[in-house]
Amino acid sequence: MTLDLIKDILLATVPLLIIFPTMFALTTWVERKALARIQNRIGPNKVGVPLTPYGGKLSLFGLGQPAADGIKMLFKENIVPTGADRLFHFLAPILSLIPSMLVLCFLPLDFPWLNGEQNSVKAFMLDGAVIFFFAITGLNTLAVFMAGWASRNKYSLLGGMRAIAQMVSYEIPLVLSAVVVVMIVGSLNADNIAKAQEGWNWFVFQPWGLAAFVIFFIGALAETNRSPFDLPEAESEIIAGYFTEYSGFKFALFFLGEYIAMFAISGLAVTLFLGAGAGPGVESLSWLKIFWFLTKVCILIGVMIWLRGTLPRLRVDQLMGFAWKFLLPLSILNIFVAGFAWHIKDANKETATSVVVWIASIIILYAAAKGLDRVNRAKVKPRTYQYGE
Amino acid sequence: MTLALHHCLILAAVLFCIGLLGAFSRRNAIVVLFSVEIMLNAANLNFIAFWRYGTNPELLHGPLFTLFTIAVAAAEVAVGLALVIAVYRHFRSVDLESLDTLKE
Amino acid sequence: MNEVTAFWMLAAISVLGALIAVRKRNLVHGVFALLVFFVGLAGLFLLLLAEFIAVVQILVYAGAVGILILFAIMLTDRVTGRDAFRVTSRGSFWGALISLAVFLVILLPTIQDIPTIENPTPKETIVETSTVKQLGIHLIKPYIITIEILALLLTAALVGAVTAAQGGRASENEENNK
Repeated sequence: MTLDLIKDILLATVPLLIIFPTMFALTTWVERKALARIQNRIGPNKVGVPLTPYGGKLSLFGLGQPAADGIKMLFKENIVPTGADRLFHFLAPILSLIPSMLVLCFLPLDFPWLNGEQNSVKAFMLDGAVIFFFAITGLNTLAVFMAGWASRNKYSLLGGMRAIAQMVSYEIPLVLSAVVVVMIVGSLNADNIAKAQEGWNWFVFQPWGLAAFVIFFIGALAETNRSPFDLPEAESEIIAGYFTEYSGFKFALFFLGEYIAMFAISGLAVTLFLGAGAGPGVESLSWLKIFWFLTKVCILIGVMIWLRGTLPRLRVDQLMGFAWKFLLPLSILNIFVAGFAWHIKDANKETATSVVVWIASIIILYAAAKGLDRVNRAKVKPRTYQYGE
Repeated sequence: MTLALHHCLILAAVLFCIGLLGAFSRRNAIVVLFSVEIMLNAANLNFIAFWRYGTNPELLHGPLFTLFTIAVAAAEVAVGLALVIAVYRHFRSVDLESLDTLKE
Repeated sequence: MNEVTAFWMLAAISVLGALIAVRKRNLVHGVFALLVFFVGLAGLFLLLLAEFIAVVQILVYAGAVGILILFAIMLTDRVTGRDAFRVTSRGSFWGALISLAVFLVILLPTIQDIPTIENPTPKETIVETSTVKQLGIHLIKPYIITIEILALLLTAALVGAVTAAQGGRASENEENNK
């Protein structure tokens, strides 16, 4: 019985522990390449696989770079500042990795070899999986603060406080936009949410789903400290923020934790709005479910990289204003719109009505966004430029 | 030996008294707030334990009361910390023994 | 690993967390010990099959309350978070004595009643009746007034906290004059 339990646990966790770190290694390479292309550079293209001990190698567009980086990180010196709180300085990177790894098991990745077994470990079958996800993601904030505080460095502490303020503020629109989906499905169970979107009934194709998806994605960017919301680690202002004093393997752990958190939150976005594993050919081949899920996650990661290369960083006051004065009212309005749209559709199932409801909701949400934008911008005067004559 | 009601009750009593000890023996206002939180949580553990091992679990009294307690505790922490900050602004200290101006 | 082992481990974690939180000189260390206590208690709730309460415990206490306390420490104490040179208050001995007495008083009926309360409902019944859906139905049907009052209380607390922490214009002028 115990052996079966161990087998179940291994079957459920090992794939996650293989898939996501591999994706992390590849993503670092893709990100460096893509950013380089956006900035008109070439990016890493030298490191490859050595063929013989005497030279000659397969360069493969620099695909060996992640491995080389990993080896470099492992062998770098571990520096702890004199004034630092040693225990917390040691614990913070671990604490930042644990929640991100933990939430991966709430994603509805149903590995087909587990299907036949009754007792397989499936955390996403938990009754409150979505809330569990948010609760555990919230613990990431504490790790960031711990790192910033333990380093005993002004820039680290500033970065840590910035991270707390940002993550707490953006968690609210994030959760409120997920509430819409939970409300429509009537369940917090990730599996039920995935089942409700089978075929092409993805929630992103609903007007409220589209709005919620956009809000969720912005919130996710801020929650994982991705550009344009990377103020906690803004190089030009506070060196590297909360991991200024981290080097070597501890830094690598932070890095890994950040990317795994990106995958996890993209996975949740896919679950809530993009139909989880739904896609062509799923009925005949159950492996395609996992393939489609991971493909969608990769597309979202690609969008994140693209945004990083395109958008400039926000100012602190803009960041807070955007969360509280724009995203929060809009996500609350979105809940009302979703409720009305769903009730009208439920009462009247004709296609014409649903099209009218679709257009009306989009117009309401767009008008609200425009109005909020105008209210928030009212005080900013257009900048006047002076040129040397 | 299975888990029974009295295990949880004894644990809750221990936790409650740790909270009480903290509230009585520390000078820092923030630590006193911690201690109050610990006591509230011990009470929550009792609610859940009585629900789990009591007679009518389908009425869900335990979880519901715990939910209410958590909400009230959250409000209490918010107001309490705001008061601590207000006191700090006035006295430049959060030491409870230095807040004795009414004696004079 | 059976239930009792898990219970003892979680109990040890939460008692240690609470003790360190209460006794630690360094406030920031204290907050993190408090968070360990909250998470340990969430584990106990999970063990007692109150799954939703465990989530709420992590979400509200470990997530929100912990960060709120950290903010308060950062705003009041020095950045290092060190407590004053003397940690304990006057008469802390009597405090310890009183809490010990209270502990014994609470413990007495518990120990006396051990043989009488031994009728646990089977796990399956509990799991079936305590889903999030059931909780929601109970909250909306019999407890609707309570939840409305709670909403009112939370709003009042929000407004009150903002006004108290903001400090009003008068005190700010006072500070500027000094």
